[in-house]
Amino acid sequence: MNATDPIRRSTDVHRLLDEAFAGVELTPEVQDLKEEIRDNLLFRVAELEASGVEPSDAARRAMRELGDVRALVDGGASAPSSGRSESAAEAAMRYRVRPKPGFVVRTVLLSILAAAALVVLVLGLADVMSLGTGVLIGLSAVFGVALGVVTADALRQETTANHPLPTGRAVAFGASTGVLLAGLAFTAVVIVRLDLAWIILGALLVVAAIAVLSYLGATQTNRHKAWMLEQERAATFANRFDEDPAAAARFGIYTAAIWTVAFVVAIVLGLTVGWIWAPVALVGGFVVMLITLARMLFGAEAGRKS
Amino acid sequence: MIQDTADEAFTADLLRGHTDTIVLGVLRRHDSYGFEIYKSIREATGGAYEIKEATLYASYRRLVRDGLAEAYWGDESQGGRRKYYRITDAGRAAFRSNISTWVATRGIIDDLLGTAVPAHTKGTRA
Repeated sequence: MNATDPIRRSTDVHRLLDEAFAGVELTPEVQDLKEEIRDNLLFRVAELEASGVEPSDAARRAMRELGDVRALVDGGASAPSSGRSESAAEAAMRYRVRPKPGFVVRTVLLSILAAAALVVLVLGLADVMSLGTGVLIGLSAVFGVALGVVTADALRQETTANHPLPTGRAVAFGASTGVLLAGLAFTAVVIVRLDLAWIILGALLVVAAIAVLSYLGATQTNRHKAWMLEQERAATFANRFDEDPAAAARFGIYTAAIWTVAFVVAIVLGLTVGWIWAPVALVGGFVVMLITLARMLFGAEAGRKS
Repeated sequence: MIQDTADEAFTADLLRGHTDTIVLGVLRRHDSYGFEIYKSIREATGGAYEIKEATLYASYRRLVRDGLAEAYWGDESQGGRRKYYRITDAGRAAFRSNISTWVATRGIIDDLLGTAVPAHTKGTRA
């Protein structure tokens, strides 16, 4: 491979390439294409030179072989292809992706494990089986971890309509789902077995998980995918937070304020009325946050219509 | 010689009609970049035919847009950036489906032209 590696001193290629792209509007996509073509041209020129062609001839020949750049830029999508008249539904049927066997096995086994943990946990809580509190907490953790892994694993799979989520995001979804479920199970253990003050830990887990999930949900986007970039050029999107970054920043501050108040109220409620009522404040905070999110994301548009 | 030119045009047309599948076939083996894909196709034809690079760029864009391949920029020590393509699971599915379509079509054409040869294996590789 080294023998044909591009010789980057050749300036002819760069000049000819600039000429070929002269007058073409350099959108990021076109710039991308140009860089890709440049790299491949340099390879081809090096190859031609290695076979004894004069450097300046080599550059011109490589450009000639490339064909019409302009047609590529203008009609990128409508260039000659093999029958692209089929409908989206037909294409989806044709290109449907079957699940990987390993994924199916993992999901089934982990789901069974989670279900078993939940059943034993419920039996333990109902005193049908006599289990120690530590074991019950362990079962809550197993329940959460198993379903968290199932969630992350599922999101990592590619489907017909979706590319897999980036690993980090899939893991975050899985972890927060796991923490949410484990937190709920732990809360049940607290109510039956432990001092009620522990409920604040369960509530904390649940609320933290919900907050992370809300964040992930609100920032979930396809906007870096190639087809979305293409559509974006055709139509502008009416996502308030994309149009108006200040609104997103305001939402962040509102969220921080809402949760601060919710936690203070939760502790006050716990100390005065009783810990069993503390989560009510957190649920209230969550509802207020969702309403704020809904109003900020879609309120402006609704206002414009009416 | 005249016959040769007609043959070349015929073969080039046939190849062009299957550019996307051919590119997917190359990507199925490993991630690759434009010139390497171009070269493997040229080598597979013994250097006799080639698919124009412009046709290939159009094919890459289609594949990426349809989610059959993904593009990413590689880090190159030589100073230039290199755009690599990776086949997706949807791309593999499309490749398999195109192959079975091709095999069926080839059977029909062989029957129609009376060229059916039992040991005919060209075209199923890749």
